[in-house]
Amino acid sequence: MTRLRSLLLAGVAVVAAPIAAQAQPAADTIVVGISADINTFDPANISSRDNSNIAKHIFGTLYEITPEGEIVPDLAESYVEAEDGMSYTYTLREGLMCEDGEALTAEDAAFSFNRAADKANNFTGNTPGFVYSSIQFQSAEAVSDREVKINLGRKNPVSFGLIAEVFIHCKDSYEGKSLEDAAAKPIGSGPYKLASWQPGSQVVLERVKEDEAKAASIIWRVIPEASTRSAELIAGNVDIITNVAPDQLDAVNNSGSAEVKAVQGTRRIYVGFNQKAAFADATPGGKAIQDTAVRVALQYAVDVPTICKQLLNFECVRADGLVNPPNDNPNLEPYPYDPEMAEKLLDEAGYPRGADGTRFSIKMQAPRGRYLNDANVALAIGQYLTDVGVNTEVELLEWASVYVPLIRSHDAGPMFLLGTGGGTWSPLYDMTDLSTPTAGTNYTEWSNPEWFDGWAEISAATTDEERRVVIDRMLEVFYNDPPWLMLYFQPDFYGVSKRVDFQPRRDEKVYLFETNIVSGG
Amino acid sequence: MTTETLPGPAVAAKPISNRRREMRRAMRSLVAARWPLVAIFVLLCVAFAAIFGPWISPMDPNRQNIMLRLADPMTAGRQGMMYLGSDGLGRDVFSRLLYGARVSLLVGICAIMVGGTIGVIAGLVSGYFGGWIDDVIMRLGDIQLAFPFILLAIMFLVILGPGVMNIIIVLGIGQWVTYARIVRAQTLSLREKEFVEAARALGDPTVLVIFRTILPNIVAPLTVIASFNVASVILSEASLSFLGLGVPPNVPTWGAMLADSRDQLMANKWWLAFFPGMAIVMTVLSFNILGDWLRDFLDPRLKTNA
Repeated sequence: MTRLRSLLLAGVAVVAAPIAAQAQPAADTIVVGISADINTFDPANISSRDNSNIAKHIFGTLYEITPEGEIVPDLAESYVEAEDGMSYTYTLREGLMCEDGEALTAEDAAFSFNRAADKANNFTGNTPGFVYSSIQFQSAEAVSDREVKINLGRKNPVSFGLIAEVFIHCKDSYEGKSLEDAAAKPIGSGPYKLASWQPGSQVVLERVKEDEAKAASIIWRVIPEASTRSAELIAGNVDIITNVAPDQLDAVNNSGSAEVKAVQGTRRIYVGFNQKAAFADATPGGKAIQDTAVRVALQYAVDVPTICKQLLNFECVRADGLVNPPNDNPNLEPYPYDPEMAEKLLDEAGYPRGADGTRFSIKMQAPRGRYLNDANVALAIGQYLTDVGVNTEVELLEWASVYVPLIRSHDAGPMFLLGTGGGTWSPLYDMTDLSTPTAGTNYTEWSNPEWFDGWAEISAATTDEERRVVIDRMLEVFYNDPPWLMLYFQPDFYGVSKRVDFQPRRDEKVYLFETNIVSGG
Repeated sequence: MTTETLPGPAVAAKPISNRRREMRRAMRSLVAARWPLVAIFVLLCVAFAAIFGPWISPMDPNRQNIMLRLADPMTAGRQGMMYLGSDGLGRDVFSRLLYGARVSLLVGICAIMVGGTIGVIAGLVSGYFGGWIDDVIMRLGDIQLAFPFILLAIMFLVILGPGVMNIIIVLGIGQWVTYARIVRAQTLSLREKEFVEAARALGDPTVLVIFRTILPNIVAPLTVIASFNVASVILSEASLSFLGLGVPPNVPTWGAMLADSRDQLMANKWWLAFFPGMAIVMTVLSFNILGDWLRDFLDPRLKTNA
C-alpha cells in the first residue's frame, strides 16, 4: 500500500513538475495573452493588429507614433519634406545594426520599402494595402549611406504618419530569401528577435538590444476564448491580456493578483447603411435607407450611452462622426436618444407604421466575436430599431471566412455592424476611410459629392488652419447625410498582473519596450 | 411521445389479442423498471413545454431589456416575474427555455425521421437486392462515416446558412448510415425466410414484399436505435448552436443559451449555464434511459429468458 502511494506521488510529481515550470512566467519574462492567432512575420504581409504588435518588437520603423499621438524618431533621427510635398528624405541614426550583425544603411531602408511594393510578391499586408495606396508610394532610394528618400505620387498631409508604419530590415538577409522563409524566419532591426513560433499556440521573442528594452524575453500566447484568458491572468500564468470581456472586469479586479486597465480606444464602431443599388432594388428596407431622412431618423432611435454602460461596462460619449475626439468637429453634438423624434421623422419621411406596427423590415448583419460584445450590441440595436417600428432582423456571422469577404466586396447589408481602426494624431487619418466613392474602405458606397470634393481642397490647402475649415465642413456633411449609424469609439480592456507595470495606450498598440517586471511573481 | 407510437407498427401484423398482451407486458415491465417511467414523465414535460410554450411562457423570449440584464432568478421584471433570471440582454431565461424545448424536440424528431426514412429505404434496397446496388449504397455509407460528423455538419451549415430546416436536413443526413446498416443486416437474414418466400411465391410485387412483409419485422430494432438517436441528435443540435451554426439568433435554443453563458461563468451568473445545461442533460438522459429499456424489452433473447 505504501509502495503504491509513493508510486502515485512520484507519478503526480513527474506530471506536475513541467506544468508548474511552464505555467509561471520566468523572472525576466513577460507573458501576454492575445485573442487572435497571427499568420506571418513577413514585414510586408502583416495586417492584423496582434500580428503587427508582435512584429514591432522585431522590426524598427523610421519614425513611430507615441501614445500621445506624437510622431517621434525611431531608426531615423531626422527628416526633410520636399517643398512640393512629393518626397520625404530621412536621415538614419548612426551605428544601426540588424539582428544578424549586418550594418543597417539607407540602402537597406530603401530596399525594405521597395520590396513591399514589388508586385511580383503579391503582398497584401498593411504596408502595401493601406499605407502605399494612401500615400501613392512611387519608390525609395538611398541618397547617401544614411539618407533615404521616399517618393510619393501626390501630396498628402498624413503621409509622414503613414510612413511610420513601414517595417525596416536589412537587404542582404531578405534578398534571395524565399517568401516562406521570410514569413517564418524574420531577421529584424528592432530590440527583439524571434526565438520560436508555434502557430496557434505561442510566439517567443528574445531581447538582442539590451539598452532598448527592459524584459529579456516576451512570450505571446494565443488564447482565443475570453474566459480562458481571464482565468489564466488570475492564475498568474500570464501577465497581460487583451480584450477582457466586459462582464469579467469584476472577476479580474477582485482577484487580488491583477487589475483591468481600461482606455478609450480609437476603433470606430458603427452600423453602415449600404447604399449599393443592389440593396435598394432588393428589399423595401434596402430602399428606405437610401433616404437621408430615414438615416437621420434612425440615429435618434438607438440609446448608445446605455449600450456602452450596460453591454460594454464603460461610460461613453456617442460618436458625432467618423473622427476620434479631440480631432472631431467641435460644433457638432452627438445625436441624442429620442425615440419620439425618430418616429416623427420616419412618419415625415413617408414611412408610417402599418397595421402590424411595422414601418419596414430590414436585415442587419454583424460579426460574432470580433469586437467587444459585438453580437449582443447588434441584437440590442436590432431591438431599439424594432421599437420604433423598423422591424430589424439581426444576422450574426462568423468573422474571418464569412463576414470579411462580404465586407470587402461591399456586399454586407443592407445594414451591417463594423469597427474600423482609427488614430488620434490626425483627423485626416480617420477620414481616409472615405477617400473616394470607390475606395475599398468606403464599405457603404456613400457618394455625397460635397464630401468627396473636399479632398481636392485639403490637398490644395497650405496651412493647418485652412485645412481645418475644410475638414469641419466635410464632417458636417457626414453628420447631416450620415452613411453610418454612429455608435461609439470602442473601449479597450487590458488585464494587467501586478507583476508588471504595463500602461495601455489608446491605439491598440501593445508595445512592451518600457514595461518593467516589478515583482518576482 | 415516442413510447406511445413505438410498439404499434412492430406488432402490426399480429392478432389483436396478442397486441393487448404485449401492451400489458410493456406496462408491467415499465413499472418494474421504474426509471423509464421517470424518463417518460420528463419527456412528457418537455413535450408539454414544446407544444404549449407560447401560451405558458410568461414573456416574449426575444424581448430585451438591457437595463435589467443578468437579473437573479425570481426578479420582478417590467413584464412579470423572471423565475429563472435574465440573460446578457435582459431576456427572460424561463421563457427562452420553454421555447428552446420546441427547437430541441422538433430538430431531434424531424432529423430522425429524415435520417430514418433515407436509411431504412437504403438498407432495405441494399439488403434485398444485393449485388452492385448493395456495394454502392454501403460504400457511400463508409465514405460518409470516414468524415468526422461535426466537421461535415459545419461544412454544410456554412454553405446552407443557419436555420431550423437546414439543421434538420444536415443532422438527418448524418444519421442515415446507422439505419441503413442495421436494416440491411436484418433484411439479408429475412429475405431467405419462408414467409418471405411465400409472399413472393404468391406473386406479391417486390415493393410489397419489401415494405409489407419485411419492414414490419424489423421495426423493433429500429425503434431502439431511434430512441438513442434522438438523444444524440439533440446533443448535436446543441453543439452546433453552441458553435453559432445552429439557428438564427432570434430562435432560442438550449445550445445557444449555453454558448451565451460562457462569458458570465466567471461572474458567477450560474443560472445562465445551469438551466439550459440541465434541460439538455435531462432530455438526453431520458431518451437514453427509455432507449435502454426498449432494447431490453424488445430483445427476443431477453424476452425468452423472462
